[in-house]
Amino acid sequence: MTMEVTDIVWVIVKAAMVAIALLSFSNLAVLAERKVSSWIQGRVGPNRTTLPLLGAIPILGTGLTRMGLFQPVADGLKLLLKEDPVPDHVNKFYFFLAPVASMIPAITIVVVLPFGQIIADGVASPLVLADLDIGILFIFAVSSLGVYGMILAGWASNSKYPFLGGIRSSAQMISYELSMGLSILPVFMWANAPGAETGLNLFSLVQHQQLVWGVIFMPFSALLFLISIFAETNRLPFDMPESESELVAGFNTEYGSFKFGLFFAAEYAHIIVGSGVFTVLFLGGWHPLPVYSSAISLPEGSVGTLLSIGIFLVKTFLVVFFFMWIRWTLPRFRYDQIMKLGWTMMLPLALVNLVLYAIILALMTPVTH
Amino acid sequence: MTVAFYIMAAIAVLGAVMAIALRNVVHAVFSVLLFFSALAGLFILLLAEFIAVVQVLVYIGSVGILMLFAIMLTTKVTGDPTRKLLSRGWAWGGLVSGALLLAFLVPLITQSKSESNSQLSNFNPSVKDLGLTLMDPYFASVGVIALLLTAGLIAAVVAASSASGE
Repeated sequence: MTMEVTDIVWVIVKAAMVAIALLSFSNLAVLAERKVSSWIQGRVGPNRTTLPLLGAIPILGTGLTRMGLFQPVADGLKLLLKEDPVPDHVNKFYFFLAPVASMIPAITIVVVLPFGQIIADGVASPLVLADLDIGILFIFAVSSLGVYGMILAGWASNSKYPFLGGIRSSAQMISYELSMGLSILPVFMWANAPGAETGLNLFSLVQHQQLVWGVIFMPFSALLFLISIFAETNRLPFDMPESESELVAGFNTEYGSFKFGLFFAAEYAHIIVGSGVFTVLFLGGWHPLPVYSSAISLPEGSVGTLLSIGIFLVKTFLVVFFFMWIRWTLPRFRYDQIMKLGWTMMLPLALVNLVLYAIILALMTPVTH
Repeated sequence: MTVAFYIMAAIAVLGAVMAIALRNVVHAVFSVLLFFSALAGLFILLLAEFIAVVQVLVYIGSVGILMLFAIMLTTKVTGDPTRKLLSRGWAWGGLVSGALLLAFLVPLITQSKSESNSQLSNFNPSVKDLGLTLMDPYFASVGVIALLLTAGLIAAVVAASSASGE
């Protein structure tokens, strides 16, 4: 309760910076998706959109235009300026609430996600908005709210296809949340083995991975978790709530203009945040090498801090790229296949994985002690 | 702190009352969710962040979705408007439930007032302490619960695989 006004302002400024960064990245991710898809399909992708004066600068402007870097501006403006249709048969309150509800979890999770470190006097401290002791539980709790956006949209639209999308999303989310939780239990068992007091804190977990990344020690957990994030973010091959070949556009069929834009941005924000969580849990956060070597370690001071943020972002974006790569490579599952995969494959495998690593860690304990 | 408590408590009571009073079942479920969120907020005020997060994770994240899922599959969401929500004996029901609430609450309130505050000021529950407590004095009960839940989980897997095998 002794917080000064300047402290509060500083907290708000930091939070705004992180939120703006996330939203800008999700805009860029939309562009990246278009470029990656065109690359995979042997097309060129967006390369015409340009800004009046900026695009006319000889090499820089034309280069940026070729890269499609002005496309997000055009996309955003288009969504903003379009007519915003609200059908008569919808439940207005929940119809307006749904896009907001789908955006909130993505922005909230970022609060506990450590994205870099500050080393001062040999002691590393995290770059994070809130360094919670129960970081991973917070992430699970908030990410479990992500489905409400889709359920609300599906129900409030009061129309067949969105409704089916909403029902599918709720069933799918519950099924895959279970294996997602089970798949990361071994990671925290490993991080809390005797001699390592990590707790459920994410920063300590990243520091714990300095010796060896989680993905090296438990690749199977990483695989299960990655598949579960695909299901939780509703990305192809798990995009049942949307599946445009069956459900028109799924839960957002009745939405247009900026409300649709919000759903769209939320999807990419979720992908980026999911990739960030994967990086923290399994890819060693900002540690440059999978296995520790004393020759390469981050220096102290602002250079090291910037490097740590850079490494973290590069890893996150590589995971985001992986998401896109999979989307344009694999076909969509059938709905019954998804439920079967979730309950009869992922869940037993996650249980076996958990027991296996419990035994392995118990056998390792005398060595680490 | 006190102001936050009253706001949270007001939201919780509002959510609970709306959950009973609203005729549309889906709206009622959302009121229950409002109540759950306010409860999570109250847990945070009590510095029980673990319980608060579990409240969100289990009740809002899973139980709420299950309730919505079940309700959305039923055809009648709104219910029969000709039937009154308040039956004739509602005052007696209110009286009995109010008396029960007081019977439970009054002893608790007097008890907590009489206890010294020194015991509370030393009380700093962290997630680690909670885990250690669960694993040491209460290991037997935690073990039994874990065994039962795991058996339930495996049963779900078996049920799912035999159903899909047909």
